[in-house]
Amino acid sequence: MTLELPTVCDIMSLRVKVRNAESGATVEMELESENTIDDIIEGAAGYWEKDAGAYVLRRGKRLLRGQQTVAEAGLLNNDELELIPDPEGG
Amino acid sequence: MKTPRILNAESIEIEERAAPPLERIKPHKWLSEEDLREYSTQERNGFELYVSRIAEEKMRNHSIRYAGEQKEAMGLLLGWVYKENGRIYSLVKDIVTTDLESTFVNVRFDRGAFEKLFQALEDAGFNYIVTGWYHSHPGHGCFMSSTDLYTQRTYFGDRAHSAIVIDPMNMEIKAFYLEGKRIKNRIFAIYWDEYENPYYGTCVRKKVIKSNPNRVSPTE
Repeated sequence: MTLELPTVCDIMSLRVKVRNAESGATVEMELESENTIDDIIEGAAGYWEKDAGAYVLRRGKRLLRGQQTVAEAGLLNNDELELIPDPEGG
Repeated sequence: MKTPRILNAESIEIEERAAPPLERIKPHKWLSEEDLREYSTQERNGFELYVSRIAEEKMRNHSIRYAGEQKEAMGLLLGWVYKENGRIYSLVKDIVTTDLESTFVNVRFDRGAFEKLFQALEDAGFNYIVTGWYHSHPGHGCFMSSTDLYTQRTYFGDRAHSAIVIDPMNMEIKAFYLEGKRIKNRIFAIYWDEYENPYYGTCVRKKVIKSNPNRVSPTE
């Protein structure tokens, strides 16, 4: 019988900084590996009283996909992310 | 599973800084006569929006290029917010954009082209705030449509944020901002200053010096 031990990623929480591109404000968040990118967007947008569905999140030049978990997205402790507006004109 | 927890938050403090001086600003050449009169009235007291010549040229050229295809153009305004004698003003230093999903009456970023936009943000070379957005109305005048108003309210509700609308076919440009729930016309100035240029001192072209072995140096 083999025991499946939790990986470091499974048990550790990590901290990331999320920057609001429209104001320069930042929040520091504590995440668990199962949290999704949508959770991060909702947490940050909620804090700034913004509509979470209207934003995208970037890490460097990479778009972080909403349904991905923190582990799947490969987020690391102390990563800096940025909330970017996704406007529409008519 | 816990939801993400906010540990702490920081906001920026708006720095006191002199706005571009009178000798380094001018009205946009596409302003209407009415806006030009308002520009003259406001010129001495200062504006709430200054757009760099670089950003203005990029927006205008982008809009003209897309107008050729009967499409709207769009992008984000990058800059910073300052205050001078209690007046808060935005300085737009540059713009960023990417591939667009665009028609004659609608525009948004291409869903598959965010990484190009993010690369442009990474390459900005200066600390920025997205101080607003621009888009074009090819041939249908400068106003805020219901979609534009929704965008402004969703993202750019702060007074310091602006929406620039360009009609490249009629050579018109206007800026707008939200005051409470009402959209208002914002008179703005174009500024130029080498030291404000975010790319000042950056060499964009390597100068190749070909030496002539037969040439005698004047010092020899």
